[in-house]
Amino acid sequence: MNKMEKALHELGEMDELAARSSPIHRLHPAAKLLSTIAYIIVVVSYHKYDLNGLIPHCLWPILLFQVSGIELRTCFYKLRIVLPLVMAVGLFNPLFDRAPLLYLGNVAVSGGVVSMLTLMLKGVLCLMASFLLMATTPIDALCAALRRLHVPAMLVTLLLLTYRYVGVMTEELAIMTDAYHLRAPGQKGIHVSAWGSFLGQLLLRSMDRAQELYSSMMLRGYHEHFHYADIPRFSLRDGLYLLGCLAFFLLLRLVPVAQLLGGLFVR
Amino acid sequence: MIAFEHVSFAYEKGRPVLNDISFRIEDGEAVGLIGANGAGKSTIMKLLLGLLSGEGKITVDGDEVKKENLAKIRRKLGFVLQNSDNQMFMPTVYEDMIFAPLNYGMSREEADRRVDEVLDRLGLQELKHRHNHKISGGEKRMAAIATILAMDPAAVLMDEPSAALDPYNRRIVINTIRDLKQLKLITSHDLDMILDTCDRVILLSGGRIAADGQADVILHDRALLEANRMELPFRFAGEKQ
Ligand SMILES: Nc1ncnc2c1ncn2[C@@H]1O[C@H](COP(=O)(O)OP(=O)(O)OP(=O)(O)O)[C@@H](O)[C@H]1O
Ligand SMILES: [Mg+2]
Repeated sequence: MNKMEKALHELGEMDELAARSSPIHRLHPAAKLLSTIAYIIVVVSYHKYDLNGLIPHCLWPILLFQVSGIELRTCFYKLRIVLPLVMAVGLFNPLFDRAPLLYLGNVAVSGGVVSMLTLMLKGVLCLMASFLLMATTPIDALCAALRRLHVPAMLVTLLLLTYRYVGVMTEELAIMTDAYHLRAPGQKGIHVSAWGSFLGQLLLRSMDRAQELYSSMMLRGYHEHFHYADIPRFSLRDGLYLLGCLAFFLLLRLVPVAQLLGGLFVR
Repeated sequence: MIAFEHVSFAYEKGRPVLNDISFRIEDGEAVGLIGANGAGKSTIMKLLLGLLSGEGKITVDGDEVKKENLAKIRRKLGFVLQNSDNQMFMPTVYEDMIFAPLNYGMSREEADRRVDEVLDRLGLQELKHRHNHKISGGEKRMAAIATILAMDPAAVLMDEPSAALDPYNRRIVINTIRDLKQLKLITSHDLDMILDTCDRVILLSGGRIAADGQADVILHDRALLEANRMELPFRFAGEKQ
């Protein structure tokens, strides 16, 4: 398998993860979607120096990974390409913000370092939460939930098709890279001189395939109203889960849990 | 009933692919559309489905193929694409198969029953919950045929149904096609399969119909076939003419 096929394979594996069964998988997609959005908003809302406040928020995704039977390792493995990008966001903060913010023993820690760590943690937590949502909810169910929440059909269809077309693009790219390497043995990567035609071809081929796939949908009676998976009704359990999550996030947000816990020991 | 009346088509100006094509296919007929690579077989299918539009008139049960009739016409036609990768767009075979029945207003229970019935007929139960990106080319081909049969179309169009199939699955497909009561239009380079499934053959060449008639007559005509870049089916190849 070349790199691209591997990526494609992994994309398909997301569908398989989502098709598993666990208490989290069985929750209503809307409950999962809303709790994830709330989680991300709360996490992002922290001040750039508030690393202490942020840390307890690791608890929620870690707990959910446990309950849903999806290994944290899988998450970090699949996110290995995006993670460094997210981590890189705060990388320059220590250079700009050198004023000491706190002292660990007698080592001064600058504001830049703290804000860098805060940013990185925010990024990782948001990625973990989004991954969890995707890994426990089939894309169809998610789209169905969005429709129930009255998100316009156009947008939802767009989301679904994008998700599918990413697969198509990757597949074409895989085929092309294979074809290239078979005729350019021993060469690492694709030579710069071929980039232009390679990209052009990729675009044309993906467009052709997307067009055919779309025709194939039309020929089978598709008229912008997708029949998404049947999702169950929003039950009491789903409501309780959602409320529980929201209460938990608010609690952590309003009560400085880390400091209280720290206080217990320091005193 | 399908009718082409004086249909011409070109993808690019000055390079006609089809030139004044006319034919009629009655309900219940099984017709093989043959011709060399690039003869325009897939193009005819796409014109019929309204995916392309050219000059002349194409009708399905008297309705002309044009925008306002497309929904009605497409409901009647089940099309197996030449490339199955482009046909399957849902994560699993089952979801792909149930897509059309649901779109056409069938209840989920009914659709489930239909899916199972088709899978049994093709001996594909094992594929039902497999993921489309993890099945082999031939399996995908069989699954694509299954998605179309699940639609229960009034006419079946198949572009190279036997390509990529092993002899066993090819035989299943041939038997399945034979059992279908609907109008059938099938393109293939597998002339033995055409001989097994079709009563009539239309031979395309140079943008025109070079021959249209009984399958066993046309497919037995070595001179005609060779003049149009084709060969006798294997089973006739040894015979003296
Ligand atoms: N999108 C396109 N743009 C321009 N020309 C095209 C396009 N698609 C097909 N053609 C040309 O139209 C002609 C007929 O193509 P078509 O796909 O109908 O052939 P076919 O009989 O199905 O061949 P095959 O047996 O190889 O499937 C070919 O010469 C082909 O090069
Ligand atoms: Mg073709």
